[in-house]
Amino acid sequence: MLCLAILFIFRDHPRVTAVQRGAVDVVAFTSNIVLAPFDAWDRLLESMQSRNALQDEVLRLQQENRVLKGQAQRLASLLSENARYKALLNSARDIEDELIAAQISSVSPDPARHLVMLDKGAADGVEEGQPVLGAEGLIGQIVLVGEYNSRALLITDSAHALPVQVNRSGLRAIAEGSGDIDRLVIRHLAATTDIRAGDLLVTSGLGGRFPHGYPVARVTNVEIAAGDAFAVVSAAPASALDRGRHVLVVAQSSQFEAAAAP
Amino acid sequence: MTRAHAVWVIYASLVGALLFTLLPLPMDWRGLRPDLAALALFYWVLALPHRVGVATAFTVGVAQDFIEGAPLGLSSPGLMLATLLLLYNYQRIRQFDLLQQSLAILGLMLLSAGMEQWLRNGIDVPAAPWAGVAGMVCSVLFWVPIRTVLRHSRRYYEVY
Repeated sequence: MLCLAILFIFRDHPRVTAVQRGAVDVVAFTSNIVLAPFDAWDRLLESMQSRNALQDEVLRLQQENRVLKGQAQRLASLLSENARYKALLNSARDIEDELIAAQISSVSPDPARHLVMLDKGAADGVEEGQPVLGAEGLIGQIVLVGEYNSRALLITDSAHALPVQVNRSGLRAIAEGSGDIDRLVIRHLAATTDIRAGDLLVTSGLGGRFPHGYPVARVTNVEIAAGDAFAVVSAAPASALDRGRHVLVVAQSSQFEAAAAP
Repeated sequence: MTRAHAVWVIYASLVGALLFTLLPLPMDWRGLRPDLAALALFYWVLALPHRVGVATAFTVGVAQDFIEGAPLGLSSPGLMLATLLLLYNYQRIRQFDLLQQSLAILGLMLLSAGMEQWLRNGIDVPAAPWAGVAGMVCSVLFWVPIRTVLRHSRRYYEVY
């Protein structure tokens, strides 16, 4: 009876949430202890990498860095150009988003969910609702924050949905998680809509949770059954959600502050 | 009722089984992880029904919710129901041979997981019924080893 009451009536009660937040740190601490031997093994393998492999890696990174720097030069000029236009339009200037670097420390054992544990928490400035970025795009949002750790819900979880926009045409839609780690679904798009495989979906900024303009997914398949009013669009997340451990939490987005200012 | 002896073995085994849940698995394989915590709980209910009962089941369920990051109280009702059923029938199930016992445990796990799926649907938390069934089959394969290990430790430490 007690747990049914907690489940159905007091699920969002501040005290229940406080207990859950405390538990985040306890679970993260315990799982770090359990995972320590695995990490140690990984580090051992890393340290045994040959000198050649490391040199190749450095070379590759240097090249990548040069390319990125080149792109950043263009970005700087574009930013200033954009700022000038915005000044002309008399609107607030975009400042850069504040990012917190975090690592995924573990994955929830619940097979029906795509929940991960991050190693940064309230003490580092993480708050519930903040977007989480992977290497190539948005991967999820923070749902529960402990003092030193937090839980993030990935965009492919079947309880997750986010407002997106087709980069090519500006068309707005809602991308829902499918429960598969490599697929998002857009339902309720009219069958005559202009959307095709290869289109990039970016966050639209509607709803005020995810800032505008982060890449989310690329459309892989548009299925239009004859006679159906709606197309079923599948998309693959831009960032591989089950690979890589390093993520960025968008701690503060200038866009929303600009919107909130009178 | 006898005086308790070496009860810590019970709790140590339950904690160990819960820690097993924290071991890393590839994303798509998580459904196949045997639910050792439930198996250990069922073993202790079967072996020492006067020590381990519904309250312990509740605690194990809450610990599972914390580990999974699920809403509190999602796993407990199912485990408590299965434990209650086991408490009414432990004398019969103790007499079963290993195959029959495994099937009985499978039934209990179906009951507890079914309850959990039902609650998940009730509060709109995603459920994966087929992964759940696969996981239960894997779990039941572990019943005999778990039972053997726990029985040995129970006799070695003289838990009663």
